[in-house]
Amino acid sequence: MSVAAVETVRLSKDYGDGRGCRDVTLRVERGEAFGLLGPNGAGKSTFVKMLVGLIRPTGGRASLFGFPAGSLEARRRIGYLPELFRFPEWLTGEEVLRYHARLCGLEGDRARSRIERLLEEVGIGRRGRDRIRHYSKGMQQRLGLACAMLGDPDLLILDEPASALDPVGRHEVRQILRRLSGQGKTIFLNSHLLEDVEWLCDRVALLHRGEIVAEGALAEMLREKKRRYLRVAGFSSFLLDWLQEESGVSVRIAVDRPSPDGESVWLEAEAENDERIGRLHYLIVEHGMTLYESVPVSERLDEWFLKIVSGTRTPG
Amino acid sequence: MTVILTAAFLLAFWFVAREISADLREPWFEPTDPASVVRRFENAAVILALGFFFGSFVLAFFAVFGAVAAVNGETEQGTLLSVLSRPIRRWQWYLGRWIGFVVSGVVYAAALFAALLFVAAWHTGIAYDPIVVLKAFVLFASVVPLLVSVTMLGSCKWSAMSNGIVMTMLYGIGMLGGMIERILGFGLDESQSRPALRTIAGLMSLAMPADGIQRRMLAELLSVFEVRDLVGGLDHRLGPLGVGQVPSDAFLAYAALYGLSALLAGIAVFRHKDL
Repeated sequence: MSVAAVETVRLSKDYGDGRGCRDVTLRVERGEAFGLLGPNGAGKSTFVKMLVGLIRPTGGRASLFGFPAGSLEARRRIGYLPELFRFPEWLTGEEVLRYHARLCGLEGDRARSRIERLLEEVGIGRRGRDRIRHYSKGMQQRLGLACAMLGDPDLLILDEPASALDPVGRHEVRQILRRLSGQGKTIFLNSHLLEDVEWLCDRVALLHRGEIVAEGALAEMLREKKRRYLRVAGFSSFLLDWLQEESGVSVRIAVDRPSPDGESVWLEAEAENDERIGRLHYLIVEHGMTLYESVPVSERLDEWFLKIVSGTRTPG
Repeated sequence: MTVILTAAFLLAFWFVAREISADLREPWFEPTDPASVVRRFENAAVILALGFFFGSFVLAFFAVFGAVAAVNGETEQGTLLSVLSRPIRRWQWYLGRWIGFVVSGVVYAAALFAALLFVAAWHTGIAYDPIVVLKAFVLFASVVPLLVSVTMLGSCKWSAMSNGIVMTMLYGIGMLGGMIERILGFGLDESQSRPALRTIAGLMSLAMPADGIQRRMLAELLSVFEVRDLVGGLDHRLGPLGVGQVPSDAFLAYAALYGLSALLAGIAVFRHKDL
């Protein structure tokens, strides 16, 4: 098995008052985009800070690319964007990046060209010569992202990277992260903005009250049951009960989905497996109805999130 | 703002020194008369004692309030997290900040020291021995690393405001101990030696040796030991601004060890601190 980008085994931080996180075991492969979700106070930032070496765990272990989390070797391979950060206001954006470049071991022309490119990439450009005190929160966020990317790290650990950004800025950040992911960088994303996680991440984990309550590939997590929309002509509401009885599938008329031709109707079906869906298709056609479309449906991430956190859904 | 306020202090001090040395400008004053040389020296001593009494405060507060938010303050502001995620060792960051605070404090100390000496020399015509001045400056400036070390250690534990209060109180304790020693150092015969009070004052000076270092500095600058036969009762004339009991070499060694211990303790605490 190859060395994982991030591997934790029963990683814990106990503050003695119920806060922190407990027995978190995760593995993030190289090149993956991984999302860590959880409500406020779940322990996400605590977990991330343990990975970066800012907080010492009280139990378990963590490693980045095989090196102990917090070690110099591990920190050489990461770029970190904290959730709450500020830069010295009397410095310019360029000066901040030059300072961080030296901390990364980047100097001279290499540093200069990288800084110039990053300032353009994150949308700061010539404003890199202005002092931080004249930056908006959004611009500071962009500078923070540039800082995290400065050392061309193998692993980007981003804690709320798109907070304080307007929709255009968030779109730009998503594009940057998608491009980095395409280059083979590993991305560890801690975000409340579920649509960003949904858009970028291959796998997610949900942290709730300090413990992992769900983990896996995003697509699988969101599809607990097989749901489909079926557009059917010749349907009558009298047939609903019969269809459900014969197929073993829960079926209802999707009143929130208008028919494009005024004659067909949309049905929403939820089944345990594909076989039952297939049986439903067969019954519809056998009964003389016309099946125009059968479209699979994925649950939205925020719906899944709320269900698990509120306890109305068993984690998949 | 620091430069402006320091300039204001020196300007006020200029006029104070002018008034103290007013008799040196009287028509009857013979500058080459031996008694007049002693008079000039006494005036210079008073001016310097007064100047360094307040100058010591200023330098101490410069050192303390520069470093007061070094760790917890910067953590709360969020300026520390992205820096410490870089591949640098925590002790390197800590020591780098310490060096920065100390260098800026020593540069400030040099400017203040030179200005105070210049004011005294201008108004009294006194000449300084370069070796004496150098020794005195080293002692004057050595308060900076001592205070910065203790303040940075405190900043690992307390917020900026709490740390400022603690350091001010600690410096005040040391200063009070020094003041008691000054008062006990003159005007009392053996029957009034008050050993309990001396012990308390001594312990207070040990709790924060900064004032003791400044008294030793003044003793060196005024060549207290060398001129005691020529300028009798100098310390009396200086009153509570004087030297009192001159801190020994052992005390200076203790102060150096105190500062070094605070620095090493700060590095150790910071290495294990959760941010």
